Amino acid sequence: MKFVRVNMTGGTVDVDGVPQDYAGLGGRGLTSALINAEVPPTCDPLGPENKLVFAPGFMSGTPLPNTSRISLGAKSPLTGGIKESNVGGTVATALGRLGITAIIVEGQAPQGSLYFLRIDETGNVSLIPAQEYEGKRTYELVDKLLEVYGQKTSVLCIGPAGEHRLALASVQSSDADGRPCRAAGRGGLGAVMGAKGLKALIVDQRGRSADPIADPEAFREAVKAVVKMVQADHMSAEVMPKLGTAALVAPVNAMGAFPCYNARQGTLDGWERISGEAMAEMIQERGGNPTHMGCSQCMIHCSNEFVDVDGRFVTGSLEYETIWAMGGMTGIVDLDTIARLDRLCDDIGVDTMSTGVGIAVAMDAGYKEFGDAAAALEMVEELAQGTEFGRLLGSGPDAVGKHFGHDRVPTVKGQSIAAYDPRAMLGHGVTYATSPMGADHTAGNLVGAYLTHMLDPLNPEGQVATSAFLQVAMAAYDTMGQCFMANVALLSPESFAVMSKLIEAKSGAQLEADEFPHALGRRVLKAEREFNRKAGFTEEDDRLPRFFYSEPLPPHNTVFSIADEELDGVFDF
Amino acid sequence: MKVTVRLYGTWRQRFPGYEPSEGIEVEVPEGATVRDLVTLLEIPEPRQVVVIAGGRVLKAEDKMQRQVPVDVMQTIGGG
Repeated sequence: MKFVRVNMTGGTVDVDGVPQDYAGLGGRGLTSALINAEVPPTCDPLGPENKLVFAPGFMSGTPLPNTSRISLGAKSPLTGGIKESNVGGTVATALGRLGITAIIVEGQAPQGSLYFLRIDETGNVSLIPAQEYEGKRTYELVDKLLEVYGQKTSVLCIGPAGEHRLALASVQSSDADGRPCRAAGRGGLGAVMGAKGLKALIVDQRGRSADPIADPEAFREAVKAVVKMVQADHMSAEVMPKLGTAALVAPVNAMGAFPCYNARQGTLDGWERISGEAMAEMIQERGGNPTHMGCSQCMIHCSNEFVDVDGRFVTGSLEYETIWAMGGMTGIVDLDTIARLDRLCDDIGVDTMSTGVGIAVAMDAGYKEFGDAAAALEMVEELAQGTEFGRLLGSGPDAVGKHFGHDRVPTVKGQSIAAYDPRAMLGHGVTYATSPMGADHTAGNLVGAYLTHMLDPLNPEGQVATSAFLQVAMAAYDTMGQCFMANVALLSPESFAVMSKLIEAKSGAQLEADEFPHALGRRVLKAEREFNRKAGFTEEDDRLPRFFYSEPLPPHNTVFSIADEELDGVFDF
Repeated sequence: MKVTVRLYGTWRQRFPGYEPSEGIEVEVPEGATVRDLVTLLEIPEPRQVVVIAGGRVLKAEDKMQRQVPVDVMQTIGGG
């Protein structure tokens, strides 16, 4: 259990034990507690007072499958509030195997300087000048780093967008095949990393100093139970390996909740061409891989390798949210173009979701036509060039809306919504409005509740309670480093009991009956909301944009109808 | 009566020769429910089946309507 504190101002590194306040935490629970305790809430997100925290999940590096998520936390340059963005790949497991609980990057390197932070297999930490890599895109950068440091290396890095400090900049994570195609995309944490002067975190995967497990036998037994539960889950065992998250295009579109043409319609003309079914077939025909393992210790394999007509790799895991943002919102019903846009975003280092939405806002405002693939590709390329338009798009959808005098901007706290329209799936509106992260589907996704009849997506009844339950559960699972796909299989009381056993077996501590996920998740959310309040957020910030309340969405022609008072009660616990 | 059924997700793989642009025609008795349709389709995991028509997720006891095609999909908890 180690904290690695890196001061970029002085170029120093300190390795210490973990303070008692953070015992039993990892991932989001740790990043949010630490940001709330140590970062001045009104600071400049791109200044030296902000801190960028990398924290593998509490279970990362243990034999528990699907725990390869690492949380990145900081004050967000996009939302102005607290931010946790988590990502898969291999780095969380690598850090877990080194017994590193968190890396806290503080201060700011002298202007114009750029560094790598490297952790070798013995846990030695060093800052390495990286000036010669200035402006490098992520694929070329990671290729080079694996050449220099060996294939058993995990990388978290920024591209040109992070160096330009764009509010949409992501931190890219190398996957199981060493490609930087997985993204901590949301909230502009790549800009925070760029502002620190940190180009990449490089971690050796061969560490042998993981924290000891207090009761290995009990841990093994609980792991077996989790494996059984995930294997028995239809989504994890059947749908995700064959179609990936893109399987959601068909049902969400069929329910009239697929926001397209900048959320003017809930169904997309030509959606079949960008569905998960179409994508899996296309990848198969071209000799690509629709069932790919993207992350360490994954037993679900929701990833894919999208290839072009000649069978050449284009991008890794083309996901539902990207297909929606770059296809549905822009009206570009062409998977090859969407895949190229995804690759460009990964390479430049930007969030595909807020980028696609920014493009859609510009199109809706008349800057370009919906469906104009060449224009979309050019707009994304401008993010890397740092042109005037590139900087505008990179500042987020709100900035694009203001620039064009256009008020149909689907964001909350500056962050774009995801691929579920809150007028046709009311509960998603509750999550978007109230999550301390800004509009964020992973914070509490109700689509499963709708597809299984637990809730009617158009009836306000039950939406607040279900969103609240899921937001608490997800905050707890994000603390464990467990991936979303597995989380969905582990939302029953029996699953929570098994997770509690795992935590007890790892830590040796006895948990209160209500600790996982309820008490833990609530503590995480309380810390996040406390930071946001101190940063100046009020209840008025927990609202959707006005057009969701006034502009009916075809085909159901409904508006968002959850009362403000109900939204204000989501976190009454 | 005949009902047009469009299959999605991995259900398609259980119907060799399935043509997405056409779907399949299924003969159901008048008054047949969604549950009856799922039984006729012989999908071994009926609890994982989601049937959507007219933008709404149908319940097991909902009746099939003449000339209203249905989409037969799978449960997914998000992504």
